[in-house]
Amino acid sequence: MSNWKKMAAKVGLTSAVAALALSAAVGTASADQKKFKIYLSLSYSGNSWQSEAANVVKALAATPPYDKMVELKEVISGADPQAQIAAYESMIADHADGIVSFPISSTALNRVIKKGCDAGVKFFMYDATVTEPCAYNISYITSGFGENSAQALVNELGGKGKIFLSRGVAGNSVDKRHTDGAMAIFKKYPGIQVVAEYYSNWDDRTTQQETAKALAAHPDVDGIWAQAGEYGAIQALMDKGNKLVPMTGENSNGFRLALANPEFQKRGLKGVSAGSPPAQSGYAFKLMMEVLTGKRDLKPQNIEYPLPWVPADQVKPCSGQSFENGCNVFPEGVVPSSFVTEIFNPTLLPELTLKSALDGKPTPGATIQALAADVVVTAPAEPGINCQKCEAPKDLYKLTKIKATVN
Amino acid sequence: MNDLTSKQPLSRSTHGAGSMMDNEKLIAESPDLRTTAKIKRETITAVGVFGLTILLIFLSRFVSPALGGWDQVNTVLVLACFLIVVSFGQGIVILIGGLDLSIPALITLSGVLTASWIGVSGDGSWYLFPLIMVICGGIGAVSGIGIVVLNIPPFIMTMATGIIVASSALGFTGGSPRGGASPLLLGLMKGNVMGIPWIILFILFFCVVGVLIQSRTTFGRRLMAIGSNLNAAVLAGIPTGNYIISAYITSAMSAGFAGFMLVGYANGATLRMGDGYLLSSIAAVVVGGSSILGGRGSFVSTIGGTLLLTTLGLVISALGVPQGWKTVIEGCTILFALLLLREDLISFFSRPKSRK
Amino acid sequence: MAQAPASAEPSAPENGLLRRLFSSGTGVIALIYVVLYVLFALWDHSALTSGTVVNLANNAAPLAIAAAGETMVVLARGFDLSVAGVISLTNVIMAAYPMEGPDGAAISLLICLAVGGMVGLVNGYLVSVLKLQSIAATLATMIICQGLALVILDAPGGTVSDFVADQLTDVVIGVVPVAGLIILVIVAVWLVFQRTAMGIALYTVGSDEVSAQLSGISVSSTRFIGFVSAGMLYGLAGFMLSAQTATGNPNGGASFLMLTFAAVALGGTSLSGGRGSVVGSILGAGTLMLLQKVLFAGGVSSFYTGIFQGTVLVIAVVFGGLITRLSERRGAR
Repeated sequence: MSNWKKMAAKVGLTSAVAALALSAAVGTASADQKKFKIYLSLSYSGNSWQSEAANVVKALAATPPYDKMVELKEVISGADPQAQIAAYESMIADHADGIVSFPISSTALNRVIKKGCDAGVKFFMYDATVTEPCAYNISYITSGFGENSAQALVNELGGKGKIFLSRGVAGNSVDKRHTDGAMAIFKKYPGIQVVAEYYSNWDDRTTQQETAKALAAHPDVDGIWAQAGEYGAIQALMDKGNKLVPMTGENSNGFRLALANPEFQKRGLKGVSAGSPPAQSGYAFKLMMEVLTGKRDLKPQNIEYPLPWVPADQVKPCSGQSFENGCNVFPEGVVPSSFVTEIFNPTLLPELTLKSALDGKPTPGATIQALAADVVVTAPAEPGINCQKCEAPKDLYKLTKIKATVN
Repeated sequence: MNDLTSKQPLSRSTHGAGSMMDNEKLIAESPDLRTTAKIKRETITAVGVFGLTILLIFLSRFVSPALGGWDQVNTVLVLACFLIVVSFGQGIVILIGGLDLSIPALITLSGVLTASWIGVSGDGSWYLFPLIMVICGGIGAVSGIGIVVLNIPPFIMTMATGIIVASSALGFTGGSPRGGASPLLLGLMKGNVMGIPWIILFILFFCVVGVLIQSRTTFGRRLMAIGSNLNAAVLAGIPTGNYIISAYITSAMSAGFAGFMLVGYANGATLRMGDGYLLSSIAAVVVGGSSILGGRGSFVSTIGGTLLLTTLGLVISALGVPQGWKTVIEGCTILFALLLLREDLISFFSRPKSRK
Repeated sequence: MAQAPASAEPSAPENGLLRRLFSSGTGVIALIYVVLYVLFALWDHSALTSGTVVNLANNAAPLAIAAAGETMVVLARGFDLSVAGVISLTNVIMAAYPMEGPDGAAISLLICLAVGGMVGLVNGYLVSVLKLQSIAATLATMIICQGLALVILDAPGGTVSDFVADQLTDVVIGVVPVAGLIILVIVAVWLVFQRTAMGIALYTVGSDEVSAQLSGISVSSTRFIGFVSAGMLYGLAGFMLSAQTATGNPNGGASFLMLTFAAVALGGTSLSGGRGSVVGSILGAGTLMLLQKVLFAGGVSSFYTGIFQGTVLVIAVVFGGLITRLSERRGAR
């Protein structure tokens, strides 16, 4: 045999051995027939919000009685829609009972979701929504974060002033919904002028840098409307000088502590902390389990999660590990400033404590509490967000949390 | 080119030695019209890039009255500091004809470790900061060894290292980085001395050191030699393997240092800290005139490239047009800068001028 | 003058073919793909069903076509970053201006090819005529294309025509995926092109530009053709992406940037030009997409998939380099 053929044979043999060794090392995925096979499908990862939401689901899945009933697997596919499509396909082929997921695109996953529904898989999406009718969407997105926080800012400014808009990721439907809602309110007040609009990618550091750029061009800003990453805007203001301005944002720990800080209030910080709660994932998971175990009869629909709403004067630090006595922020040092605080909901998710969100571990002694029979609030249809061939209601941007105090 | 048509014809004597001596005398007495390039190409590129930046700062006054002055320069320097540090490392690697794709992951790793090990208290800073730099350098060494010893193309090796490091950072933090910035870092990034921010002083110091390292030390010159012609460098006796590995170590440590700075700036770490620094460091190095194939470039023009891109970003963000058009304008301006700083135009300016 | 020693008689004919395959890296990546598929079949019992094969073909098609295009530029020693921009742009055009039926699909396809080709023309002009560095020029065109995509569609939405979305992800003759057929056509065209003067010129310019110039090859026309054909292939990739996701996404092309280069390098094409093949790049793309599925089937914990991906990438390239060097040495004797 020539040397070449010997080499090829050697290579072939080595690869086969390596393959077998790898196979032994990693092991096979076995299916336990008695448990529900649930997949937690994340797309984007790498920020606190995503990992807290994932940890909430993991904690609930490990809380009795679900710890014996559920086999939960987490899959992170990254920011590429095709990777999440491939992940869904693999989960469907693996005969998943349910998939609780943060979808990366409101439209690209529809076809594979439809195939999954036809195969009997239940899809429960949290926070981000899909327009496929057979999926359940659990989201606060229809509860009007953009318009309500915009009105709060207008009220603080007395109806006039120069403002910055700190947005999310360019080309993303969630960012568009929030901004459209906010602009619908701002346009009603000719005294309000949007002097700078930038994309902060829902990240503290990017918000800080983009706000710094905007401040260089417009140092005389009067207020800031921000999506996630809002604490970075406060840092940018402090880097520039002593002046702070009224701000609305989402619910990072740093922002809420800043709102309640008397020193900052003296320098001009006022506003409201609203925004996206990671707790939505827990609600979605519990609903899914109740549907799978037959305890609840729920057709695929869009479900609304209530909008958190904490004005500066209602910020209250927690003394313990959970939201008791109406507290809604953790003291400095307990969690980093980028930690997203709305991980709890005493009505819907009483089984959770801070540890659940930080580590994904169940609370000792807790058991799953059933959701109230009438807990489901149907969300309005919003084209591009949770439905395709549909029409938005006439009062799409109605205010639910706050009334206009200015004309 | 030399003026070959000499005014005095060489004599064509039919005799032997006598005519040779006559010719030599003629050559010795003819005017010396040899010249060299009047201006070095690197200087032209640097002047061009800085000139464009200054022009942009002047023009930005039309975009907003608050821009166009020293305040803007201050903001640009502070915003550009991270990119300057990262571009130094990327520039060194590009100089030897490679590419470092692991920079974002190393920034993130360094930031995450700084925030969680050193944290807000700053305890143990004196040995933890160097330790983190050593870890980053070690990862750079792994990339370098893979490239030199295993012959893996730099693109793939650094991409793989980056993916592995990012994944490790994700696993280490479990998705939520803890901790914050120590007083030292906060002081560096936010404090000032006699009205001048520390960070600006630091960046000026870094730029001077960086330029000296890349252009004036043996280390830098040998790297340039390796980049221009690897075989010639080997034949000249340079231990190319060691130098290449050192280049990747340098790049990794620059990324690590940028991680420290970002933790101080944002008072915390996130798993996305390094995002955006890959393409922008390559852009800064290339717009600054360095060749992606290696062997040519100076840190001075890279600094210019960084400042140009940062100023451009600042001016564009102040424009009141939709994001899509902002992106188009940004791309067109970069293209414009590239066209102005291109090869043949620079050769035109640096061509030798004949002496009269 | 000394006579050059007569070269040794080549042994059995298939030896030459094997050696050629392995020295260009295509054989190596094919081997790696087969190994991965075997692992996949071991761990996931549905691996060999036609449904899975069709899904794999549909998932891999956009990346495979993009990698094929990138190879055209890399072979002649260049980098084309505009792949991400062209894919985003053609994707949003497909979704914002859908055209129904098979005629509509043909027109949409022509539009995608034209858009990609025009971007390729611009790139070619900047690099060949104005002598800009390819990485810099294509970075600028990528940014411009991404901006244009955002101008046309500012959030994910739009609808791709049903004909495109259904037919192109479907099968013919029961089991053969349409996406797979399209890739085969590209492979066939490449195998012909590789033997034409222009194909050989591409390789020559990549290995040694100076000698190519001296042998009479027009380096700038060769690069031009490389960029234009690359652009058209990116347009096709955007077309296939639209078929798979059935909607438009202004950021749709972003993830393709790194993946395309990884696919090209994995497929045995040298990033400094002169060596490689479109077939290798297509297989490299398939391997990357298959790897995701293999890691899923193997139950690898989600946090650490990155580590596995990076390691596999390195092992594959080292392996490939080893085999290539050995086969070259063997062939030189």
